[in-house]
Amino acid sequence: MNDLLILLIKASVIYGGLLGTAALMTLAERKFSAWMQYRIGPNRVGPFGLLQPLADGVKFIFKEEVVPDGANPWLFRMAPMMAAVPAMLTVAVVPFAGGDIVLFGQNFGQLSITDLDIGVLFMLAIGGLGVYGVILGGWSSNSKYSLLGGLRASAQMISYELSLILVVLSIVAMSGTLDLRGIVAEQTGTWLLLPAWNVFQQPLAFVLFVIATFAETNRHPFDFAECEPELVGGFHTEYSSMKFALFFLGEYCAMVVMACLTTVLFLGGPEVPYWADAPWFLQLVAFMVKAGIFLFLFIWVRWTLPRFRFDQLMHLGWKVFLPLALANLFLTGLLVSF
Amino acid sequence: MSETVTITLNGREVEADPKKPLIAACHEHGEAVPHYCYHPGLTPVGSCRICQVQVKQGEAPPRTVAACRTPVAAGMVVDTEAAPAHEARRQCLEFLLKNHPLDCPICDKAGECTLQDYAFQEGQGKGRSVEPRRKLPKRKDLGEVILLDNERCILCSRCVRFMEEVPKTPQLCIAGRGSHSTVETWNDQPLTGNYQGNLADVCPVGALTLRKFRFQARVWNLLKVASTCPGCSRGCAVTVEVLRHGALKRVRPRHEPAVNGWWMCDQGRFGFEDANRPDRLAGGALRSQSGGWEAVPTDAALETTRDMFAVHGEARIVASPFVTVEEGRELAALAKTIGCRPVFVSPPPNEWADDLLHTGDPAPNRRGLSELGFEALPPDEILARVGEVEVVLLVGERVADLIGREAVAALPEALRVILMDEALVDSPAVDVAIGVPNYIERTGTWINVDGHAGRLNPARPAPPQTWTLVRSLDYLHTLLHTEPQGARR
Amino acid sequence: MVIVKRKTLSLAERLYLPEVVRGLSITFRKLFQPKITRQYPEDPLPTTSVTRGQPRLVVKDDGNIACVSCGLCEAACPAYAITIDGHETDRSIEREPEEFQIDMLRCILCGFCEEACPKDAIFMSNELELADTTRSALVYDLERLKRPAAALAERMDYIKRINKRWQTSSST
Repeated sequence: MNDLLILLIKASVIYGGLLGTAALMTLAERKFSAWMQYRIGPNRVGPFGLLQPLADGVKFIFKEEVVPDGANPWLFRMAPMMAAVPAMLTVAVVPFAGGDIVLFGQNFGQLSITDLDIGVLFMLAIGGLGVYGVILGGWSSNSKYSLLGGLRASAQMISYELSLILVVLSIVAMSGTLDLRGIVAEQTGTWLLLPAWNVFQQPLAFVLFVIATFAETNRHPFDFAECEPELVGGFHTEYSSMKFALFFLGEYCAMVVMACLTTVLFLGGPEVPYWADAPWFLQLVAFMVKAGIFLFLFIWVRWTLPRFRFDQLMHLGWKVFLPLALANLFLTGLLVSF
Repeated sequence: MSETVTITLNGREVEADPKKPLIAACHEHGEAVPHYCYHPGLTPVGSCRICQVQVKQGEAPPRTVAACRTPVAAGMVVDTEAAPAHEARRQCLEFLLKNHPLDCPICDKAGECTLQDYAFQEGQGKGRSVEPRRKLPKRKDLGEVILLDNERCILCSRCVRFMEEVPKTPQLCIAGRGSHSTVETWNDQPLTGNYQGNLADVCPVGALTLRKFRFQARVWNLLKVASTCPGCSRGCAVTVEVLRHGALKRVRPRHEPAVNGWWMCDQGRFGFEDANRPDRLAGGALRSQSGGWEAVPTDAALETTRDMFAVHGEARIVASPFVTVEEGRELAALAKTIGCRPVFVSPPPNEWADDLLHTGDPAPNRRGLSELGFEALPPDEILARVGEVEVVLLVGERVADLIGREAVAALPEALRVILMDEALVDSPAVDVAIGVPNYIERTGTWINVDGHAGRLNPARPAPPQTWTLVRSLDYLHTLLHTEPQGARR
Repeated sequence: MVIVKRKTLSLAERLYLPEVVRGLSITFRKLFQPKITRQYPEDPLPTTSVTRGQPRLVVKDDGNIACVSCGLCEAACPAYAITIDGHETDRSIEREPEEFQIDMLRCILCGFCEEACPKDAIFMSNELELADTTRSALVYDLERLKRPAAALAERMDYIKRINKRWQTSSST
């Protein structure tokens, strides 16, 4: 079988998985929030409401497309794509499992669409493009709420991207590579009887990174881009139908990607603890479990914490996170050098 | 103007007519004194005693007297709300209610019943009597107009006095004694005469009711509009009462001393079926080539009318005697433009004429139209005259009815007939039909036989797209002054 | 003037993270609480005699309607939902409704009609569900409003009891 076909199969499996997970997340979000509030949540469509995302999708498709008066029609239509595409692109470099996959007597190679030498850089660079969708959507809607939402989103994402990158730099400094598989390989084995994961070796970096991902994906408690009580719907106030659905999809894809990235950087990626050469499917399961914990954390935090104030957010980003991340990087540098 | 004297009424110095009873002076000056047997148009008898007030005259101590039987005298000091008077009234009320059935949910009078109002005002919710109430006939037939409920009767004798004093045909009496007294006719003969309907109006309770209004509507649901009776050239002042969706349910006389006093005849009271006719024409209609009717807006129908006047030669305008003075002026101006003398239909007198109210002339605005220069012609004369011309405009509500619908339908086809009436006459003779509002749907003035102006007021909207006659005629008149090309922009 | 004393925060509280963890632990425990949602169409709330559902007309045990079409409910209705036309009947009560319409889209279930009725002829039933595809179908006519007295007995008893209490408690 030629390489192109293998690549196509792997890509469709991974993207199917990504979109399926994102769809499932919309259901999980509603289910978990319901349970936390003594409710049942959606249970009418399919068993346990499992087909609810499908019903939502059908509903979105049949909704009216509205383009507001005075909106820039091209940018208005492009913004949802700009928001969704970068989030989906970054999943290409995530290593879901180590070792070659052999199925039906066919070697498919390793379970990732591609392995780049600069995987970390790629994820951060492409992922950072997502802010364009938000700010373009906000600006082109010709609505003050959308514009404010877009402005806030861009300010917030840029501020936290700084800390995020500094934190990642300390990991990169430890492992000495930008290749995600290299970072994963660095974390195999044990360290003080624990798995040699960065979460144990770099606890401060881990906390900073997880919090920064919340800000980076515009999730609660940092969802200032939407912020219903102040901005109606934020940057997507004027969006309806599938354009709105794309924003939604982009948000959930970004969450999935961030969960994967956290897993790779801090939890040893697909590694099964204390069993370095586990078969690939067990590694995949381990990866999914680890990423699933972070996905649950996203939902859990959203339905627990109240929203910050915007000035608190900026204060936290520039006066707390940035110095801490710098100090962490400096310490890591010292430790690695000596 | 008669001499007046000064009395003190509830602490105010007021002028009162000494020829009238005290209760009239109280009512005139805005003091509410309840009354059942007293009616301003009838002789006071003082049988119900509910109008008791306290009067102090000279040095004598104040006395409680029936206000309807006490003439006004100079220097009277009247207190309508004095405690003894009030207590006397309350006791009277309790006696009146002793045998009065609790029929209000069924009774047609409920809502305009002064007994109900005063009982509610006094607020004594329970009777103290433990004896059973009288059982009497509930549905006694008093002829074709009136039904009598003997249980509800409070024996005020207004109906008896009305029959004696107004139509001067005494037919009712109060028979029996004590609690066996009932209102009866001699030997249970049915009532006769043209003024029986007033009995239901004078009855202060729901004892005498109109057959035609029985259970037709609750009175508080009726929209009451001051109007003028179209029944004859007397033009009695009336109140027309319409239920929801505009169905005319009842016509009652309105007090107008110069015309009808408090009364009206049964011919006028029950002659309103025409106002509820179902076959009303809304907007205009043109006779199409195939022989059917094509509904068009009123202005289009009027433009066709103008074309007929322009193309054909001699024209006549025939008005209905129901045309108001305002409409008559427009019509006279139009007749002048097309060069003819307007006429109106003068139907033959009917047999209802009497020396009380009914004039026997079914043309309500005869005098108004005659003064505007209209010529009164009987229907057959009109038919003979329109045969001589090419175009004829029949204008006004009921114009076809008064000429005769068959006669209109049988007009020669060569004649161009424009019919502005409430309803269509479906005949090849009629070329254009335009709907008009009827007398409860428009404003206007009718001049009665004595020269008194009676106003019409709209009680409900005309059928949709129907223009008022004044507007239609004005538009037609304007069109006749305009070049045909100019009209079609 | 209200003076609000701000609590002095401990170090852990100022660090914020321990408090976040505390909040998270609370919501996590709530995940496993028993649910209080009612599955409405399958599991409706029970109705009692106090339930004020849609108004219905009483058909007495002899098969005659109790209403005499006096129009008091029509007059009392704040939403103008009721329209009544009466006609004469041979029964001793003399009048009964010929047409009795309640526009259920206008009805606000306030119960004024029930209170106004002098003949105990209209009561708020325990029927609550109201759905149809056209507006005209929701204008209920006489036949759709009639209910045998037995079906409304619980509510009738309750109203009579309440009225009695009201009458005795207010002195005249």
